[in-house]
Amino acid sequence: MTTGVAPHRPGPAARSELRRGASQLLPPAFLLVAVLLVWEGVVRLLKVSDFALPAPSAIAAVLIRDQASLAENAWITAQEVLLGFAVSGLVGAALALLIARFDRLGRAVYPLVVLFQTVPKIALAPLCILWFGYGLAPKVVLTVVIAFFPVALDMLSGLRAVDPNLVALMRSVGSRGGEILWRVQVPTALPYLMSGLKIAVTFSVIGAIVGEFSGAQAGLGYIIQFASTQLETPLVFAALVEVSVLGIVFYYLVELAERLLVPWSPK
Amino acid sequence: MAQILPTQTQPARQAASDSDSSNPPHIEAHGVSLDFPMGRHATLRVLSDIDLAIPRGSIVSLIGPSGCGKSTLLKVLAGLLPPSSGRVAVAGMAPAEAARQRRIGLVFQDATLLPWQNALANAGFLLRITDRSLPVRAVRERAQAMLRLVGLEGAEQRLPSQLSGGMRQRVAIARALALDPDVLLMDEPFGALDAITRETMGTFLLDLWRRTGKTILLVTHSINEAVFLSSEVHVMAASPGRLLAALSVPLAYPRKEASYADPAFGQVATELRLLLKQGHAA
Repeated sequence: MTTGVAPHRPGPAARSELRRGASQLLPPAFLLVAVLLVWEGVVRLLKVSDFALPAPSAIAAVLIRDQASLAENAWITAQEVLLGFAVSGLVGAALALLIARFDRLGRAVYPLVVLFQTVPKIALAPLCILWFGYGLAPKVVLTVVIAFFPVALDMLSGLRAVDPNLVALMRSVGSRGGEILWRVQVPTALPYLMSGLKIAVTFSVIGAIVGEFSGAQAGLGYIIQFASTQLETPLVFAALVEVSVLGIVFYYLVELAERLLVPWSPK
Repeated sequence: MAQILPTQTQPARQAASDSDSSNPPHIEAHGVSLDFPMGRHATLRVLSDIDLAIPRGSIVSLIGPSGCGKSTLLKVLAGLLPPSSGRVAVAGMAPAEAARQRRIGLVFQDATLLPWQNALANAGFLLRITDRSLPVRAVRERAQAMLRLVGLEGAEQRLPSQLSGGMRQRVAIARALALDPDVLLMDEPFGALDAITRETMGTFLLDLWRRTGKTILLVTHSINEAVFLSSEVHVMAASPGRLLAALSVPLAYPRKEASYADPAFGQVATELRLLLKQGHAA
């Protein structure tokens, strides 16, 4: 561990932030490199065949060789993830607002949402293909079905986490439900919403890939499925690497948005 | 400092004595009871037959063991809970009406500030939502003046997370005072603070009371706090919540640290202690 962050010097905040970031990133980076080296060594030593388990160097070679087609397919998957994620966020947040604002409606809707949640969403993938074809739509629908729930649930707990004394105080001076919702409940719920969105964004990647597995002509999920039938395992791994990178980038974009939009959020 | 509170008249600061006919009670309760429904047919009596009369401009404490209903009584007086029977009046009207007319200022044990807004916006928050016709600048100025009044000049831009517990509670008090209420109802306002801050806040509250002339009723479970601050202490007992006795504190204002050493302080404190034990045993 690099514990030497040193006494805080009155410098630009950005630099100390950077240094703290580096001290957090270095240990996992070292571990990753070590794992890759062991992997490479074992594969070479035991002469494992490429289609069973390709060495990291073989995967890297494919990543470079097929970079154009991989990028093209990654872009398609990224679009599905982004669109699905955006719609999940909107649907989830809107549902939470409705349930919180309109008590009776909430009591009718909420149990059904929970019930729907017990359906294994992946099983819905063939239906999505049947109804919406092979294009973007079925992937987005499947993603939303998978990812809206954590958003709705977290947002709802946020809306209900308001100090009852504060609400009583506002009511006593004549505030009504709508005003309390917008002025107090929604801002209180924002940090909750952001943690729901972080879960949703990782679920969105799953949704897009599963959607592509079930019927697609392009996308990283399609590549994985196609390459595995051809025993092109290095390509499977290369696509996997790109899916992971996609997921990580999206996750940290949401985290960045959280920092910018909800600076009072408890870390 | 008094010019900050333009509409407030300064009531005579005579020693509290509710027998004084020239000073009608500012907060009163007559035979107030409160029942909570417990299941289908049963009810739980939370407050039983409370009579209370608090003179205008006085500072009075409500003390009692945990769960005796003192916070609940405060909520009834603030108009947040309607009593099951009996009558409550604040400034001569029903408490819910008094709250609507901004005659009641409320302070809770937790400051209940908005964490995303700075001290200034928090201090002006209630004023802004109660008086929509008030221009933004007027709200700001009023909030600023209230922060000055509670000794938080210079901390306007700080977020609640950047303030100490005592400072947060001062912001909550400023928020209540911004409405220019007649009465200030405080529910264990210093209960979450450490001992030293707590005493400092007590002295601060007395000073604030002297300068603003508000009628203050505060719930506390600290005997020392009750005796030090108030002209009169009402003792409650639990199950059902009821008033056991009222003691007046024969210590002259302004009270200082030396007041703790006054024999009268010890006497009242001892008496309170005995009463509280009696309430516990009952």
